[in-house]
Amino acid sequence: MSISSIRQIIVFAWQSFWRNFWLSIVTITIIVLAFISVNFLLILNILSDNAIKVVQNKVDVSLYFNHDASESQVLETQIYLSAVPQIDDITYISQAQALEQFKQKHQGDADIIQSLNELQENPLGATLIIKAKDIGDYPDIIDVVNNSKYNNLIQDKSFDDNEVFIDRIKEVSDNVNRVGLIASGIFILISLLIVFNTIRVAIYTHREEISIMKLVGATNWYIRSPFLLESIIYGLLGVAIAMAVTYPILGLIQPYVNSFFLDSTFNLAQYFSQNIIKILGVEFLITVLLNVLSSIFAMRKYLKV
Amino acid sequence: MIILKDLSKFYPPDVHALKGVNLHIKPKEFICLVGKSGTGKTTLVKLMIAEEKASKGRIIIGGWDITDIRNREIPILRRQIGVVFQDFKLLEKKTVFENIAFALQVSGISLVRMKEIIPQVLKIVGLEGKQDRYPVQLSGGEQQRVALARALVHRPKILLADEPTGNLDTQNTKEIMELLLKINDFGTTVILVTHNQDVVNSINKRVITIDSGKIISDQKKGKYIL
Ligand SMILES: Nc1ncnc2c1ncn2[C@@H]1O[C@H](COP(=O)(O)OP(=O)(O)OP(=O)(O)O)[C@@H](O)[C@H]1O
Ligand SMILES: [Mg+2]
Repeated sequence: MSISSIRQIIVFAWQSFWRNFWLSIVTITIIVLAFISVNFLLILNILSDNAIKVVQNKVDVSLYFNHDASESQVLETQIYLSAVPQIDDITYISQAQALEQFKQKHQGDADIIQSLNELQENPLGATLIIKAKDIGDYPDIIDVVNNSKYNNLIQDKSFDDNEVFIDRIKEVSDNVNRVGLIASGIFILISLLIVFNTIRVAIYTHREEISIMKLVGATNWYIRSPFLLESIIYGLLGVAIAMAVTYPILGLIQPYVNSFFLDSTFNLAQYFSQNIIKILGVEFLITVLLNVLSSIFAMRKYLKV
Repeated sequence: MIILKDLSKFYPPDVHALKGVNLHIKPKEFICLVGKSGTGKTTLVKLMIAEEKASKGRIIIGGWDITDIRNREIPILRRQIGVVFQDFKLLEKKTVFENIAFALQVSGISLVRMKEIIPQVLKIVGLEGKQDRYPVQLSGGEQQRVALARALVHRPKILLADEPTGNLDTQNTKEIMELLLKINDFGTTVILVTHNQDVVNSINKRVITIDSGKIISDQKKGKYIL
């Protein structure tokens, strides 16, 4: 294909865009709406993933040793457990540290401090804090501990079960996700229909040119490509505008994100900026595929070439 | 060489536009195709440019049997056959130059080449200097010349002219006819479909008369006989 014919294809597509200006605007608007809702779906998923990660990070199992378990026994337990594959990290809190932490916590309470001081011995045992690689691994890890010979050294195990909380997050995000998916699906379906119709109208508007093109021996692809190009332009513009609209919204959401994530910071706009190529790339791909598909259907039906 | 063998065209549900047409046309021949309205002349033209498919029979053009031509090959055929019609089929929003360029672009010819070719064909059809005009700024005869120029830019072996003078007055008709004869002199096979008795009688070329989808007369140096 020569430069001159490529030029003609582009000019043709460009004209088609302007000749049915309002139709083009409507088409792009619908695609913009579709991809704004896709972007929201994406934001939601990013946020809920992060929320779950944050909560998961807070989950751990503490093994409270008897206060007469010796330091070497505790360290032996630690070594034993560090061989367990599901365990990511073990923090050792010695008896002394435990006492220190306890005192710190009850600083204001003179009674407790006093009674502690009256005791000759440290009443607290050492603690091992275990983090699993995955939240689902905790029951296994507790099993391992229960069945080990170290179990009788351990006075108590605490497992802060945040599972309920995580399930809640998952449930809420699943629900919102479902609504988002339906909305995106509907918008995408509408944009498919609109693109179909717009290309149909474009074919109709160009029927004279098309018949002459055929007469002078234009190939089918040559005749089709302006319409394909037109539909691709709609998609690319739609996705780009949707992203331009989404960015300021990210800024508006950020305060709520901050208040949710409290200690850990998560910057949505930054996340988008860092992944913009991937996000836009996938969205471009989706829109190009869909628009090409619906314009091919439109051409099948209305362009007998 | 164009060979039509037992060619029939049936338009469902009940129109037999052509009924067993047999015809040999030699290279560089000039043919007048005449006949009453609705006898199948345009249908014959459409079959030769593969706009319609034959119901029966064969069409062989330059040794190429195009009866069952594939869609993909139709453009190749059309670039070898120039066509003009009674309505000139020019694009109103394009200049003369652009209208002709339109035909060249589809076969991927560069703008530089176009700027060489287009003035040449415009000269042949007698429209030098009018390449920047729009169709509305031209007379009917001039518009038909633009259409002829567009049909000729591919240097076709065959020119099909379906009532090219149907919309023109006597003077313009005469000029277009002279042009067609000139094109024929350059070595292009011309098939002229016409109703115009004077035209047929004045040029003294082979005349084929069709009636009800059949060839009823084929004269070497013929006259309009209906
Ligand atoms: N697409 C079609 N579908 C059905 N019938 C058709 C179609 N095209 C042409 N016909 C019929 O076929 C017959 C031949 O038509 P054609 O156009 O070939 O006539 P023609 O000789 O060119 O007439 P004219 O001199 O008026 O142009 C006519 O009866 C016409 O009605
Ligand atoms: Mg006709």
